Order: sequence, then C-alpha cells, then structure tokens
Amino acid sequence: MRIGFYPKLAADGIRKNRRMFTPFILTCTGMVMMFYIIMYLAVSDILNPLIGAYTLQSIFALGSWVIAIFAAIFLFYTNSFLIRHRKKEFGLYNILGMGKRNIARILFWEMLIIALVSVALGLAAGITFSKFAELGMANVMRVNVTYDLSIAPLAVKRSLETFGVIFLLLLLNSIRQVRFSSAVSLLQSENTGEKPPKGNWALGILGVALLAVAYYLAVTIENPIKALLIFFVAVIMVIIGTYLVMISGSVLFCRLLQKKKSYYYKPNHFVSVSSMVYRMKRNGAGLASICVLATMVLVTMASTGCLYFGEESMINLRYPRDINLEFRFKDISDFSDKHIETLKSGVFDELETRGVTPKNEYFYRSANLYGFVKGSTVEVDAAKISETDAMSSYLFYFVPLADYNAVMGTNETLGDGEALLYSYRTDYNSDTVSFNNGESFKIKKKIDAFTSNGDSAMDILSSIMLVVPDLENSIKGIDTIANFNGDRLLQMKWICNFDTGTTPKQQVALYHDLTTAFKDSSSKEKLGYSSVYTSSQEFERQDFYALFGSLFYLGIVLSLVFIIAAVLIIYYKQISEGYEDQARFEIMQKVGMTKREIRKSINSQLLTVFFLPLILAVMHLVFAFPIVRQLLLAFNLNDVPLFAATTIISIAVFALFYTIVYRLTSNAYYNIVSGAREDR
Amino acid sequence: MSILEVSGLKKVYSTRFGGNKVEALKNVNFSVEHGEYVAIMGESGSGKTTLLNMIAALDKPTNGSIVLDGRDLAKIKESAAASFRRDNLGFVFQEFNLLDTFTLEDNIYLPLVLAGKSHKEMNDRLMPIASRLGISQLLKKYPYEVSGGQKQRAAVARAMITNPKLILADEPTGALDSRATDELLKLFAEVNKLGQTILMVTHSVKAASAANRVLFIKDGEVFHQIYRGESTNEQLYQKISDTLTLLATGGMKK
Repeated sequence: MRIGFYPKLAADGIRKNRRMFTPFILTCTGMVMMFYIIMYLAVSDILNPLIGAYTLQSIFALGSWVIAIFAAIFLFYTNSFLIRHRKKEFGLYNILGMGKRNIARILFWEMLIIALVSVALGLAAGITFSKFAELGMANVMRVNVTYDLSIAPLAVKRSLETFGVIFLLLLLNSIRQVRFSSAVSLLQSENTGEKPPKGNWALGILGVALLAVAYYLAVTIENPIKALLIFFVAVIMVIIGTYLVMISGSVLFCRLLQKKKSYYYKPNHFVSVSSMVYRMKRNGAGLASICVLATMVLVTMASTGCLYFGEESMINLRYPRDINLEFRFKDISDFSDKHIETLKSGVFDELETRGVTPKNEYFYRSANLYGFVKGSTVEVDAAKISETDAMSSYLFYFVPLADYNAVMGTNETLGDGEALLYSYRTDYNSDTVSFNNGESFKIKKKIDAFTSNGDSAMDILSSIMLVVPDLENSIKGIDTIANFNGDRLLQMKWICNFDTGTTPKQQVALYHDLTTAFKDSSSKEKLGYSSVYTSSQEFERQDFYALFGSLFYLGIVLSLVFIIAAVLIIYYKQISEGYEDQARFEIMQKVGMTKREIRKSINSQLLTVFFLPLILAVMHLVFAFPIVRQLLLAFNLNDVPLFAATTIISIAVFALFYTIVYRLTSNAYYNIVSGAREDR
Repeated sequence: MSILEVSGLKKVYSTRFGGNKVEALKNVNFSVEHGEYVAIMGESGSGKTTLLNMIAALDKPTNGSIVLDGRDLAKIKESAAASFRRDNLGFVFQEFNLLDTFTLEDNIYLPLVLAGKSHKEMNDRLMPIASRLGISQLLKKYPYEVSGGQKQRAAVARAMITNPKLILADEPTGALDSRATDELLKLFAEVNKLGQTILMVTHSVKAASAANRVLFIKDGEVFHQIYRGESTNEQLYQKISDTLTLLATGGMKK
C-alpha cells in the first residue's frame, strides 16, 4: 500500500486533470516524434543512395540539436501553464499536512508517467512515420526495400537521452516552483492571476541583437556546407532571438494598443487586447514556437520544391541538347580549322549511317582553365592559390571568334590582343584580363549571352568566357603552363550538341550507339581526338528525377512533421487558453456580453496575433535566402526567380493552411468559453 | 408606477434524466415601484436565486410573467437577452465577478464598451460615480491588488454606470467583513436616495434591514412582507428577526 501510494496519487491527478494533461502529453508526443524522425534520417542508411548523403546527414545531425533546444523551450512553456493550474491542488495537499517533499514525490511520479507515455507514443509514431517515409522514398527512387519494420537503435537511444534530460529539467523546475511558495499562495495562485508582465526592454533588445547577429552570419556565410556549424549556431540564435522578441515585443505591442484609447475601448478589441496583455508571456512563447516551425516548413518546402521544379531547367542547362558530344584534344595543333572540319564530317557520317538528321545543332571550340582573379590579373598557378582563395577562383574558357559568331549568329570583329568577355554568375569589372604568365587581353566589349554551357552550369565556381580572335595564337603562351605534375592546365575540347527529333527511347539507344562508336580507338585515330564525353538529356533525366524526386519527397515529409508540431502547438494554445478564459467569459456573459460579441472578440484576437508569427517567419526566410541559395548552387541550381516563386508559393500555401487550422481550433476555443454554463 | 411586475411565477426543474421534478417557485407575485429598495429573504433552497435569475433573464419561467418597465421578459429572445441585461440591469454579485485581466477602471467600463460608447462618454460617466464610491484613486489597480470591500465597490460602480432601471444584488455582502458590509449598505442606501431602484437577495438580516421593504420567500411563495415605514434600521432588524423566528418555527401565515 505504501509503495503504491504516490504513483496512485499521481495517476489520479493526471486522470482528474485530463483536459489539461491530454494536450500536454500530445505536445510531448509530437516533439518526441519530430526529434526521432530527424535523428533517424541522420543515423540510418535511408539516405545513402542519394548524392550528397553525407552532407544531408550532417545537416540532420545538427538539425536534431535545433529540434532538441526547440522542444526544451516549448515544453517549458507548456509545463509552466500546467504547473500554474495545479498549484491550488498542491496548496490543498500542503495544508492538509503533506510536506513539500511529499509533493515533490507526487510531481516526480506525474512527470515519470507523462514521460513514459509520451516517449512511448512518440517513438511509436516516429517509427511508423519513418517507415512509411522510407517506403515512399523507395518508391520515388525505385529501390527495393524490405518491408519489415526498421528501427534505428541509435536514434531511439538519442531520443531517450534527450527527452530524459528535458523531462528531468521540467521536473526540477516544477519542484522549484512548489518549493518556494507558501501553502496559502499556492492555494490562491490560480485566482490572483499572474501579474501582467511589464514590457521588458532588456530582453527585447537582447532578442533583437541575437536576431541581428544571426542574420548577419546568414548573409555573410559564403559556403554553408563548409560553415555548417556556424550556420547552425545562427539557427539556434534565431530561435532564441525569436522567443525573446516575441515575448517582450508582444507585451510592448499590446501595451501600445491599450494606450490608444480609440482602439482599445471598442467592443471587439477591449476583451481580446486585455487578455492578450495578461498572458502575453506565454502567448509570446506560443507564437514564437509557431514562428520557428513556420520558418522550418517554409525553408524546407521552398528549397526542395525549387530543386524539384527546377530540375528540367537544370537538365537543359547541364545537357543543352538531346545528344551532347565533347571531344578532347592533347595538342593545340589538333585544334586547327582543318582538323575540326574532319572531325565534324566524321560525326555527321556516323549520324547519317544511323538515319539521324541533327537539328538545332551548334559547335564550338573551347579551351578551359581555372584561375584566381586579383584585380585584373589572373593567377593560374595552382600552387600559388591558397585554400581560402579557392572559392573566389573562376573557370576561364577561351572560344575563337569564328565559332562564337557561328553559334550566336553575330558578326563581331576583333583586333589582335582584343577579346569579348562574358561572365556567368559573376561580374568582371576591369578592362583588361592579364594572365600572370601568359597573354594579356583588352576587353573590347562585354557580351551578355552565350549558348548554355554544361561545364559552367555544373561547376560550383563562376565562369568567365573570353572570345579571342584566333585560338591557336592567342593562348599559345598559356598552353605551355603545366601544373606541378607536368600535366597541362589547359583543357581543349570541341563541343558538338544537337537535337535528334526522335523518341526518348531512340535517343537513349542512339546515345549508347554513339558512345560505343566514338570510344573506339580506331575512330579516335581516324578523327584525331584523344577522348570523348557523351551525354544524353533523356538518359540523364531519369537519374535527375530519382535524385530530386526523393529530395522533394524528403522535404514534404519534413514539412509534414513540422506542420504536425505546429498544429499541436496551436491546438494546445487554444485549448489551454480556452479553459483559462472560461470563467472570464462567463462573467462577461452575465454582465451582458452576447455570444456574437464573444465570437467577434475571438476573431479580433486572432487577427491581431495571427499574422505576427507569419510575418516574422517570412523575415527569417528572407535572411535565410542567401544561405539556401548557396545550398541550391551546390546542386547546380541557380534559378533565383524559380526559388523566389517556390518561396512565395510555400508562404501562400502555409498561410492558407495556417488560417484553416486557426479557424478550426478557434472554434474549439469558442465552444469551451461560450459553453461554460452548459458544461456544469 | 411599478418598474417590475412579477405575477403567478412558477418554475419547475426536471432532473437531468427527467425523473424527479423539483418545484423551485410555486406562485410568486409582487411588484417593485420605481425608486424602491427591496430585499428578498429566505432560507437556502427557498428559490431566491431562481427568482433572481429569472428577473435577470438568465432563466425562463415555467409559468407566469415578469414585466420589467413594460416589457415582458418571456418574449425576449435568447440572443437579445444579453444586450437587454446590459442596457436595463445592473448586477452586484457575492463573489464580485470582476475580471482579473482588467484594471478596476476597465472592469467598470466593460458594459459601456460592449454597448459601443466612446471613451470620453465613459470617462464622463465614471468620474462622478467613482468619487461617490470612493474608488477614484484605485481605478488603475487590478482586482488582486485591492481589498474585498474595494472590489465590491468597483462592482457596484460597474452596475451603476449604465444607469440601469434596476440593480440586482445577489448576496452582495456575503463575501465581505462587517466593516465593508456596513460601508456597502450605506452606499446602497445613498444610491437609492438618488432614485436608483434596487432589488437585493440576501439571507443576512443586517443587509435586509437596510432596505425599505423586505419580502420573505418560503416554499416557493412570497410568504410575508415588511415595510420599513418610520422604523430605523435597528427597529427593522428586530422585526425581520422576529419574522424569521416565526418562519423557522412554522408560524401561521398572517
């Protein structure tokens, strides 16, 4: 009997207050589930088939920390509400002769029960969800998966540890609150109400400062993959900053509204503004949590959506035509017009024997090398380029004027030592380009277009094209530069791209045929090239779809998880506030508030605070834009308008969804506060 | 001219599953004249609160009618009941029913704000009332920062600020100590002298002895009534005590 006493009391307490505990346990469950899924993605091998799996996994590993911190803050917020509600009960126990120590024991058992239930439910939900996610992923990638339930023991272990710590902290906080208040103040705590918080300037300013630093970091990070840790520090700073700004900022905001008498003393605003001021601390925390989750959803949806919908343009950029051939040469003498003519007719012969007439075809010679720009000088010696300079180096490629004019249908002319310059993803501001151990070119004109170029698109570096009068003479000096292995830096190639006008299946067949034909060494000898790279848009498309389809899918899964958490928070907020406001609305109905006025005042409250988290989330998103763009660049995607479009669509979709959820839950709130009398 | 006419009032409650029927009020008849101060007394369970709820249009009678200032309450729709209460009645409750999210000032403004009055008009109305009730200095405080008596005065101010036809007070002294009780009763008497009609439900003899007329309810009927006439509060107190003793010992109906 003695052993079971406290657990029994605790279980009873939970059962009797289930309308308070149910939303709390649900919220905990949601948090555990979210954490487990992120952790699962980080440690399981589900992502292995993906390119960049390692990067993704480290993102999720760090992301799990973000979720843990977020969960801790949010659960503290929800638990404080619960404690406040229970204080009266504990005060009564205290007066009836139960010591603080005994109450602490009840609290311990209560927390243990909540922890067990919510962690068990959360893990179960997380495992089920992740299994479904895995099956879906396999479907997208057309990989075989076993259908037995897969659990990542490491993820389970981490979830247990993390939430063990969080629940322990919650327990200590509850005990602290009970310990430092007298029995009488406990008894009255619910009725006396918390003091309306003063707008705390210091916290608000600290929040703004955190946001500012985080924003600064976000905008200045050049390569988020290398600076992943800094990136996540920025994310955590944003989360904390959001909480501080929301909590103290919203109090100040409501105080201002209250000062404005013509606004405040209106039937719609009077009740809503005053009750917002009253519980702004907690309200602010709820809003901040919604804001953080909204940001996560928006970033995920916008970036993966952009990848998915941008893949066609990426394919077109990377593989400009149905069939793309790239012949490479060892010697600059092979680059002569005569040689190229021979090669071209050789290629056309091959096509003719297969009954293919090339369409939209274009050809050009190109000589590529990497260089680091200092002012107007280009350093091409790799030994002199330091690690940090590497990201500000460029891909240079030289194209002869004749080829340029032929491809673009222009009629440009160039004198000796002159060049046309085209910069891709960058600006080049000087009038001359001097290679430090080679030629120097005077820029005659900057041009703003060239045909799509697979190399530039694929390369994470920006590129600069120089159209020179004559390739052979112009780059002679550069041609001799070798790296420390004795290999030539300059890469010489002839690009030959064309459409076929045949079915996708025929295109893939042709691609395989041509690859076999040109890789043949007799062909190499006859046509005078050293190696060949072939690619087919259609063939590559399948790979692209598998990769980006699964990334997009992953994005949807994650967004869904975040949305579930956001819905739980909104629901929790409405229900808990509803029970808190019940007595208040009962009084107001007695004094003469009609049900219609209750509705109106709820709507007014909704409109006042509804947009706050969304606005702040959009602001976060704007500052995350550069980082996300950099991440997308790593996937060869540089379509800013498309990214902007997916961002805006994501915001619109989320706003719509958010409105619906808020409407539905505000109905639940309304039913609680207006049905107060019938409830008895 | 009567401001309130209650005639043949009957209220039967059915228990939740419709089994037992409880007759809370059998047949209540009385009227309140304009400017009167009436106390209704009775033991617990005698139907006092039921009566008050029906006069406040919070509940519908089973039979009979309540006419307030020429309007039959039975004919007021549920949806209009709240605004009717707001415009015509002022309430003072035992447990004050002040909202802890509002300052005292905003608590008092509540019915006016709901009625859509401008801040200036509200302020103009509040100032004289607040100074008469002695709470001018407390207006910016929150309910949990003031004493019970002060809370009740704020509640009285909230009841008065709409210039109601009738103030309904439900055990207004129930939660007050004796000093605060005296103050409140004095306040009611003063307000009444200014022409405010008050109907108070109480089981405190002291509270009832401040009224000009006392109605006694027993077994769902008005059993007896006493007019103050020329009596002082103390004399009325004595009369009420005697009547209650009579009621308790099952004395005969006069």
